[in-house]
Amino acid sequence: MTNTWYFYLFFSAGLIFAGLYALLSKRNLIRLLIAIEVISKGVSLVLLATGFAKGNILVAQAMVVTFIVVEVSLVATALAIIINIYRHTKSLDVRKLVRLKG
Amino acid sequence: MIVQTALLIGMVLFSVLAIFLKDLIRAAISLAVASLLLGIIFFRMGASYAGVFEISVVAGLITVLFILTIALTNTGEEVRESRLANVVFPLFFVVFVIIDALVMKGLLQKVPALPSGPEAGTFGEVLWKGRTLDLVGQIGVILAGVFSVLALFRKRDKHD
Amino acid sequence: MIILFVALPLIVAGVLPLIGKVSRRVVPDLLANATLLFLLVYAVAVGRPLIGNGPAFQKLTWLGETVNLRLALDGFSLFMLMAISLVGLCAGLFSIDYMEHYGAKANYYALFLIMIAGMNGLVLATDLFNIYIFLEVAAVASYSLVAFGLGHDELEAAFKYLMLSVVASAFILVSIAVIFGMTGSLSLPAVARALQELNAGPVVGICAALFIMGFGLKAALIPFHAWLPDAHPSAPAPISAVLSGLLIKVSGVYALTRVFLNVFGLTPALSTVLMYLGTVSLAVAAFLALGQKDIKRMLAYSSISQVGYIVLGIGLGTPLGIAGGLFHLFNHALAKGLLFLTSGSIQQATGTRNLDEMGGLANRMPVTAATNLIGSLSIAGVPPLNGFWSKLLIIMALIQAGHPVFALVAVLASVLTLWYYLLIQRKAFFGKLNERWAAVKEAPFWMTASTVLLASLCVGVGIFFSVTIKSWIQPAAGVLAEGVQAVIRSWGL
Repeated sequence: MTNTWYFYLFFSAGLIFAGLYALLSKRNLIRLLIAIEVISKGVSLVLLATGFAKGNILVAQAMVVTFIVVEVSLVATALAIIINIYRHTKSLDVRKLVRLKG
Repeated sequence: MIVQTALLIGMVLFSVLAIFLKDLIRAAISLAVASLLLGIIFFRMGASYAGVFEISVVAGLITVLFILTIALTNTGEEVRESRLANVVFPLFFVVFVIIDALVMKGLLQKVPALPSGPEAGTFGEVLWKGRTLDLVGQIGVILAGVFSVLALFRKRDKHD
Repeated sequence: MIILFVALPLIVAGVLPLIGKVSRRVVPDLLANATLLFLLVYAVAVGRPLIGNGPAFQKLTWLGETVNLRLALDGFSLFMLMAISLVGLCAGLFSIDYMEHYGAKANYYALFLIMIAGMNGLVLATDLFNIYIFLEVAAVASYSLVAFGLGHDELEAAFKYLMLSVVASAFILVSIAVIFGMTGSLSLPAVARALQELNAGPVVGICAALFIMGFGLKAALIPFHAWLPDAHPSAPAPISAVLSGLLIKVSGVYALTRVFLNVFGLTPALSTVLMYLGTVSLAVAAFLALGQKDIKRMLAYSSISQVGYIVLGIGLGTPLGIAGGLFHLFNHALAKGLLFLTSGSIQQATGTRNLDEMGGLANRMPVTAATNLIGSLSIAGVPPLNGFWSKLLIIMALIQAGHPVFALVAVLASVLTLWYYLLIQRKAFFGKLNERWAAVKEAPFWMTASTVLLASLCVGVGIFFSVTIKSWIQPAAGVLAEGVQAVIRSWGL
């Protein structure tokens, strides 16, 4: 793989790390969703950088476009769930969601 | 290359800000700026369609959805985040970046790749003719999202 | 027309809410279940001859131009399609009565059909990215189905499920990107061929690890299981049946198996990792199931345990092991689907899921008790029910391949399984009738009908196990046992 691939991979690894760290440590539900968005950015960067490094930019773009559509659906569903949770608990704190023991 | 590096650093910076800013609205806007920068990065890689999608959908639509939700769930009382996690993050992040750089350096030339042939067609052809099943999947996931929102916001009589 | 498996449920799902506005009562139920029935009949009747001479492919022309819709139907895919349609149909029939008090039934059926369409698309896909996107279709539908009841517990479970599932999808996509980078292609045969040429050991190992983390989370293998014990009990009973009986197997086990056995090739290292993961799931989940008071939570931990059996059998890699694993996949789908449906009957009749509060229900709900007993015995592996034969195959394969310790653990866990299932029977159904339940009635028609159907299948497959194995399992196991060659040779597109 060409050197530019590693270059982009370096940045997207940082993004994914930041997103995962936030998922583990943050408490506000909406902030958790923002963390998911950051992870998605990292993933779409990897996808596109791979296509760029191989010269297959069109297939990579098709993948990224589809992934973004999936992401929108996901965010919409997640926000619907969050709003419903807010209606129940009047709070956006994930620590209020501990009735189930997991 | 310099411009690309600057854009990438900027994007990572704004993403990290989006996670750690206290005010949710500012966090959402920071996320939008990061998406904008990512879209520009995509443009400069030659992926104009992905760039357009990233800017209009992620920086536009998703930010609007976020701001809508933030407005609807405006308690007035803040969720107290763990201060320890916030303080420790820069340390962890710097350590990770160093490990990351070393790993990438070590992996240089180590990942084998087959040479790939020239790409045929335009983006439209590749998407519509080459990856048609993805489009069916997109329709499926859009339907799923729409019906999910309809189901989750339906008028309910007391259940549970 | 293989595309029907994906297109038909999607089209019906799109139309259902509109119809639901017009006719609230009968038409949505009828339409949704008719679709599911059609898919089942299509899979059984039309699918078998289609794959008589190797895999069948789908090429379409749309308005005169060849559209690249590559779907492949081989023995393994057909087997999964049949399982999906069967359990899907029974859960759909059950929902006719069970979902009455939830409201928005047309919407529910639409999401249900989308989930089925996503699963069907996943098993028919020939391309790594298609596998990912149909996985997401089924997953997005399942998040809102878990949260459908809009109660506190359902929403909490759905949110946690969503968070973990998105992380899994991220891992899967990163792995797909690296594979795309190495091989320049996304279609399964091309990737298989290229990986053979490349011989890139460590990097393929990293991709395999990412896939195990991603698909393992979808399959709820320990240590990636944390979402399942919350999500499956909180969902409405028919959805729990489909999630436990199908979704974790299709988006987890099927995808893992297809990629590892037909694309990467099952190296000894990979086989060992899978076997250990399977065994850990098997044993730990069996223990965790013991202390549960909530009947559906116990069933959820049991699902994790049984998926461990499946992964153990398939990870072994020998033809007997693979056949055992696949047979157990089918049997568990039937039996666990049955058990979740009967638990729904109990929940609707008594309003509780707490085993301590139940007692002696067999007097008032004889059919439910009988079908529940059959399901429990099937999973515990009591002859002559179907679960016995599949577990026997797996244990025999383990001994044959020279892994007596694994076999011993499997047998011991089976004994433990039998114990806690008999515990459910005793606490919930037999024993003295708790006065609170003196007035409960048997479950409504469609609920009992669907459970009776599944129970008779459990018995039937158990008695006629050799026929089942020969006609359905052998073709599937054969495809997998051929390994990478199956895909390179016959899928060469």
